Amino acid sequence: MLSFAFKSMATRRAKLVMTALSMVLAAGVALLAYNISTQVSEGIVNTAAKYDIIIGPSGSATQLAMNTMFFTDKPLGTIPYAVIDDLNRSGQVNAAIPFSMGDSYNAAPIVGTDPALLSDKALLKGEMFSQPLEAVVGFDVAKTYNLNPGDQIISSHGLSHDGAAHADHPLNVVGVLKRTDTAYDNAVFTPVSTIWELHDHHDEDHDEDHDEEHDEDHDEDHDEHEEHHHAEAGEICAVLVRSKSLADYAALMNWYTDNTDYLAINPNTVLREVMDNVDLSRKIVYILCAVILVMNLFVVSVIALLNMYDSRREIALMRLIGVSMGKINRLYLIQNALTGLCAVALSLLCAHLCLWGIRGFVSRMGIVLNAARVYPLEWAILLCVFALSILPTAVLTRRMARKDSLET
Amino acid sequence: MIKTEDLFVRFSDGSGIRYRDMRFDTGRSYALLGASGVGKSTFLNLIAGVLTPAEGRVTVDGEAVSALPQRARDLYRIRRVGYIFQDFKLLEDMTVQDNINILRLEGVDTSQMDALLDRLGLLRLKKRRVNRLSGGEKQRVAIARALIKKPAIILADEPTGNLNYETGVEVVRTLLANAGDGTLIAVTHDDRLAPMFDERADMNAVAEWVPGGEARQHA
Repeated sequence: MLSFAFKSMATRRAKLVMTALSMVLAAGVALLAYNISTQVSEGIVNTAAKYDIIIGPSGSATQLAMNTMFFTDKPLGTIPYAVIDDLNRSGQVNAAIPFSMGDSYNAAPIVGTDPALLSDKALLKGEMFSQPLEAVVGFDVAKTYNLNPGDQIISSHGLSHDGAAHADHPLNVVGVLKRTDTAYDNAVFTPVSTIWELHDHHDEDHDEDHDEEHDEDHDEDHDEHEEHHHAEAGEICAVLVRSKSLADYAALMNWYTDNTDYLAINPNTVLREVMDNVDLSRKIVYILCAVILVMNLFVVSVIALLNMYDSRREIALMRLIGVSMGKINRLYLIQNALTGLCAVALSLLCAHLCLWGIRGFVSRMGIVLNAARVYPLEWAILLCVFALSILPTAVLTRRMARKDSLET
Repeated sequence: MIKTEDLFVRFSDGSGIRYRDMRFDTGRSYALLGASGVGKSTFLNLIAGVLTPAEGRVTVDGEAVSALPQRARDLYRIRRVGYIFQDFKLLEDMTVQDNINILRLEGVDTSQMDALLDRLGLLRLKKRRVNRLSGGEKQRVAIARALIKKPAIILADEPTGNLNYETGVEVVRTLLANAGDGTLIAVTHDDRLAPMFDERADMNAVAEWVPGGEARQHA
C-alpha cells in the first residue's frame, strides 16, 4: 500500500508540492511570529531581575537601564569610580559592580566591568579575566568570529565598529562564556582598567592629532568625541548594585535620587514601565498572530479539502473496480499524512532558519534569539496543521463510503 | 448463475428503468444488444453491484448481491467480477502495470500480469503511462485489469467500441477464451460480433423506460 501511495503521490507531485509549500508558509509564519514575540519578552524579563539599583550620571532612566541590562544605546556619561568605594564602605550593598562601555569588537560591545558581573555565568572555555587587556567573550561572539582562549582581538573606538582601531593594544581572549540566550552572548567583557588603559593611549594620540589639524576639523572631532562618553581613568559609566536589605535599598535610592549629579533607578521598575508602554503593541502583535494562525489553519484545511475533491475521480474509479473504502481511506490517509508530515517538518525548519537568520539583527539590539528553542505551543500549532492535513481525508471518504460507487 | 428479478432502477430526475427478469447461466456467454440509451450499461452496473436497485434484486448463485452492504458488494466485485467499462476507468496518470497492480490492494494475485499483457499485445507498453496510450490500447489495458483476477463473471461494456472489426473479433475471442467456466456478459452495438456469443438478448425488449411521474408513483 505504501508503494502505491508513493506512486499515486508521484503522479500528483506538482500539486502536492504546492500544497505542502502552502502549509509551510501558513504554519511557518505562525511559528515565527509566536517564537520571536515569546523569546523577546522572556529575554527582557530574565535579564532585568539581577540588580535592584543602577547608579549612573543624571539623564534618561530608560537609556541607563537599556544600556546596562542589554548593552544597547549609548551610556549616559560617566561617574567617578569612587562611587563604588563609597558603596562598599557604606556596608549597605552585597555587590557594587562597575560598568563601562564605549568600545566595540565588530558588532559586539566591549563592557569594562568586574568578574562579579559574570558570577552567574558559566565559562565554556578558558578562565575569567583578571588582568588589564584580558577579555572573556560571549558565546555568539566566539562562534561568529571563531575566537578561543589565546586569540587576540582588536577593539574599535566607539560602539560602531568603523571607529579607529586600538591596534597597538589588542585584547587577549582568556575565556568564552557558555550560551546564556541573553545580551551577554553578544558582548566582550574585560576589566574596567582595560578601558582606562585603552583610552589613556587613545587620548594621547587624539591630542597629537589635534595639534596638527585645522580649527574646523578640530570642532567636528570634538563633537564626535563627546558622543562616545568614554570613561577616563578613574571613571565608569554606571554601577550595578545589589543592596543588602529593603531598608538599605530605600536609603541608597533616596541618597542618589537627591543628588542631582546621579541617577539611581530600579531596573525592574524601569523595564516594567517600558514593557507597560509597549504592552498595547504586544497585545496587538499577539492578536495579529492569532488572526494569522486561524487564517492559516483555515487555508491549510481548505487546501487539503480541495486536494481531496480533486482526487474524487480517482477514488470513484478505485471503488468501481472493487477497492474497498477502507483501503482507499488508508491510501489517502497515508498520502495526506506524508504530505502533512513533510509540511510540518519543513515549517519548523523554515521558521527556525528564519529565526537563525534574523538573530544577528536582533542581537544588535541586545536580545539573543535561540534558533533551536521550540515552545510547546509551537508543537501544538504543528499538531493542528498535521491534523488538518489528514482530517478532510477522513471526512470525505466517510461521505463517499455512504454512496453507491457510481455516485462518488 | 446470475438472476435478475423485478429490477427497477431510479435516477435522480425521478425517471427510471424497469427490467424484465433475466437469467445468465454459468459457463455461457451473452451479448446484450440494443439501441443507445436503452439501459444496457445500467443493467451491467446493477449486476456488478455498482448501482443499487430501487426495487427487485440480483442474485448470484443464490446470494442476493444487490442487498449486500457496501463492503460486501465491494468484495463481491473484486473477487468475482471482472468489469470492463465503456470509458475504461483507468488511472490515466499511472502506468499500465500500476493500473493492474492496484488490485493487489485487495489481495488479487497479479503475478501472471506479464503473460496476460503479452497475450493482449501490451507487454512492451507495461511501463507506459495510460494517458500516452491510444484508445484501443487503453481498452486492452481495461480488459487486462478485468481478466487478471480470473473472474467468475466478466462484464464487458462495449469492449470493442474503440476497435476496428478485426481487432474487435480478436478481443471477443480473448474474452471468450478467458471466460472459461465463468459467465461472460457483453454489451455491444456491433451486430456482426453477436454470433460469437452463446446467447443474445435484445435489451430493447428487456428494458422499459419509466418517466419521472410514473416512476415516483410506482415507487
